[in-house]
Amino acid sequence: MKVFVKLVSTLVTFLIVVSGSLAADYPTKPITLINPQAPGGTLDIQARAYASVAEKMLGQPVVVVNKAGASGMVGGLAGAQAVPDGYTLTVGSVNIPNAIEWEIANGRKPPFTGRDFICIGTFTMSPTILIVPMDSPYKTLADLIADAKAKPGQLAFSSGGLYGMSHLPAEIFAMAAGIKIRHVPYTGGGPSLTAVVGKQVDFSVNYPANSIPLIRGNKIRGLAVIGAKRLKSVPDIPTTKELGIDAEYYGWVGLLAPLKTPQPIVDKLRDVTKKVVEGKAFVDIIEQAGDEVYFLNGEELAKYMETESKQIAKLYQEMMKEAPKK
Amino acid sequence: MDVFGNLLNGFQTALTLKNVYLCFIGCLWGTVVGVLPGIGPLAGITLLIPATFGIDATGAIIMLAGIYYGAMYGGSTTSILMNIPGESASVVTCIEGYQMTRKGRGGAALFISAWGSWIGGTLGIVGLMLLAPFLANVAVKFGPPEMFALLLVAFILLGSLGRGSFFKTVPMILLGLLVGTIGMDQLTGTMRFTHDIKELYDGIGFIPVAMGAFGIGEILSSTEGTLVRFVHKVKLRELLPSREELLAAWKPIFRGTGLGFLIGLLPGSAHILASFVSYTLEKRLSKKPEEFGTGRIEGVAGPETANNAASESAMIPFLGLGIPTGPAPAVMMIALMIHGVRPGSLFISEQPQLFWGLIASMYIGNVILLILNLPLVSLFINLLRVPFRILFPVILLVCLVGTYSVNSSIVELVILVVSGVLGYIFRKLDFDIAPFILAMLIGPALEMAFRQSLMRSAGSFSIFLKSPVACSLLVLSCLLFIWNIFRVVRPKKAWEKALEKDE
Repeated sequence: MKVFVKLVSTLVTFLIVVSGSLAADYPTKPITLINPQAPGGTLDIQARAYASVAEKMLGQPVVVVNKAGASGMVGGLAGAQAVPDGYTLTVGSVNIPNAIEWEIANGRKPPFTGRDFICIGTFTMSPTILIVPMDSPYKTLADLIADAKAKPGQLAFSSGGLYGMSHLPAEIFAMAAGIKIRHVPYTGGGPSLTAVVGKQVDFSVNYPANSIPLIRGNKIRGLAVIGAKRLKSVPDIPTTKELGIDAEYYGWVGLLAPLKTPQPIVDKLRDVTKKVVEGKAFVDIIEQAGDEVYFLNGEELAKYMETESKQIAKLYQEMMKEAPKK
Repeated sequence: MDVFGNLLNGFQTALTLKNVYLCFIGCLWGTVVGVLPGIGPLAGITLLIPATFGIDATGAIIMLAGIYYGAMYGGSTTSILMNIPGESASVVTCIEGYQMTRKGRGGAALFISAWGSWIGGTLGIVGLMLLAPFLANVAVKFGPPEMFALLLVAFILLGSLGRGSFFKTVPMILLGLLVGTIGMDQLTGTMRFTHDIKELYDGIGFIPVAMGAFGIGEILSSTEGTLVRFVHKVKLRELLPSREELLAAWKPIFRGTGLGFLIGLLPGSAHILASFVSYTLEKRLSKKPEEFGTGRIEGVAGPETANNAASESAMIPFLGLGIPTGPAPAVMMIALMIHGVRPGSLFISEQPQLFWGLIASMYIGNVILLILNLPLVSLFINLLRVPFRILFPVILLVCLVGTYSVNSSIVELVILVVSGVLGYIFRKLDFDIAPFILAMLIGPALEMAFRQSLMRSAGSFSIFLKSPVACSLLVLSCLLFIWNIFRVVRPKKAWEKALEKDE
């Protein structure tokens, strides 16, 4: 027994020394970024853009690995359970609190929570735009709200999927505006946009990168930005805050490391991420893809995730109340 | 400017040495990802996006589009030679294609499928070029009610897909529907048969099941007999299709083009649906439907053409409106955005050089692919000469690696292996696998479209009657259904009795 204890303590000391020295000249081998979404999504592109810039600063290849499934929970779990040595990081997004809170609201234990990660920083944080078909009778947001109030539960909106990044902003808006609307989920952001253009639904919400080209092409009209600040690319669309509706929701994408990652490595990653996100190369790629770069540092992101999770949890509670009994 | 002037300008863009080279790289890589089971065009394009960062937008989209339509060419190869769908749209190609290989006509099947792909692809581009802006605006009107009606037609057609008797096909369809319900209900979030396995939340993946049930099942049953069972020497003459085969193939090729082009406009994985509908159509139209399942060239020519035509028309909503309706066009669109080009409804008029350059490059790419694929026919056929004790483990490995590489998921590997064993058992019991797999694909989509429609209309069924398209498709499905029942109860023909006796 004594021998065993000695052995273990030696091993632990050895590991601490080794990991300490590893942290000093981190990274010494390629870094893996787990993307919990399927190839080709917004996350994928931002992750790959980040990897291409960050690997030059880190001096080691940064490889993006897709591990999709269960709205990001499969990849998120793998990321949370990864060895905390800074060589396996996770591309986090608002989908993580979305999915975790959904599990809680349905009485299931989530496999992990946001607290299982150390936040490194965000890449982007986009609001959504509320859009209607081009020949929709609603010219302003007030028109839409008035009509929805006149016919509760009649207006339908499309989303890219249940409790996804393009479903929740619409529900948050409806809750803030005090209207009852019907949700028709589609399989992905593209089909959801098609539904608005083709007048299959009354309205929808979508991210600027997807909706602005169609607004400019006169296929859809943007009634409001769901958030507090107007967008540079469409300055004439008012925000919900301006219109007196207290709705805010941002589709953030950022970098997360497993809990217990050594502090020196976290510091280095935070430092590198700030430089990447504020550097021209990354900004160019993101802006060309129609997004705006928005950097929150690790502490800010952690704080934001807390308040955001509360907002989402509250929303789900409201939705559950209304939903018919299963 | 007129179409020809535009196209001429497009060729000027596409025929520069650099762009031809990029087009070639794209087509080559596309063929590779098409041939490799598990890895499809989606993964192929995503992998190469970082490589386009240094190229201009035109070159990048030329290369990425090449991967996309190139994969449709490559997908048929393993389906025909080894019964392993190399790409999800080639599942039905396995049915006739592999039987042709067993009869020693694999070369002809590959040859016809390459030509069919070329014709479908090239005519698809003509349609894309002439009709893109118009069709893009029509396609968005195709909502859940219309989708439901179309899928219902497809679903009823499933009944006639099976080679065996009606009573052996129906259980397989039901089983497929059951497996298709696994996963999270996408409209309410209720879990169905997931048993807390997170990987099952999104349902059972189509590709691992298709690869397992067809490919691994085939390998398992081949190892039973002598391992050198159907290795044969291939003469050059056997590589080329015979006169009869050519005559039988040309009509399905043109029908497949039209059908594929129309279905490709629909959202989702339309090219899979296109190849399947084309197959059942050919079987219906054939004078000898009883020979389907024993290696009819029509069953290769039609579907392989259809999936190429569909892959071209699937780009219409993306190029004409900037809305990608399938996963692969979505990735291409993101790649364009990275290069500072935002496809939208003004894309064609604002970026004429890019659009027409891409169109011209697609004509060139299809020729490159034909030149690339015809010589490969003899190469691939010779692969069959490799002793099976070496070939099979290698194929098995490629299947496993291919499946794992898409999502790094162990659960998907388990699904692959389990479906392989199931595929083997079904084969032994002489149950058809194709209806099972397609039911698994169509079932959830059908349910989704049905419920989406009713959610939109607040539960009123009139939504299906208000749309003329949906309404006429529903009438068609009723007629098909009645005809199917009639087929089961009517007196049997001589050949059918003979078939039943054999069973």
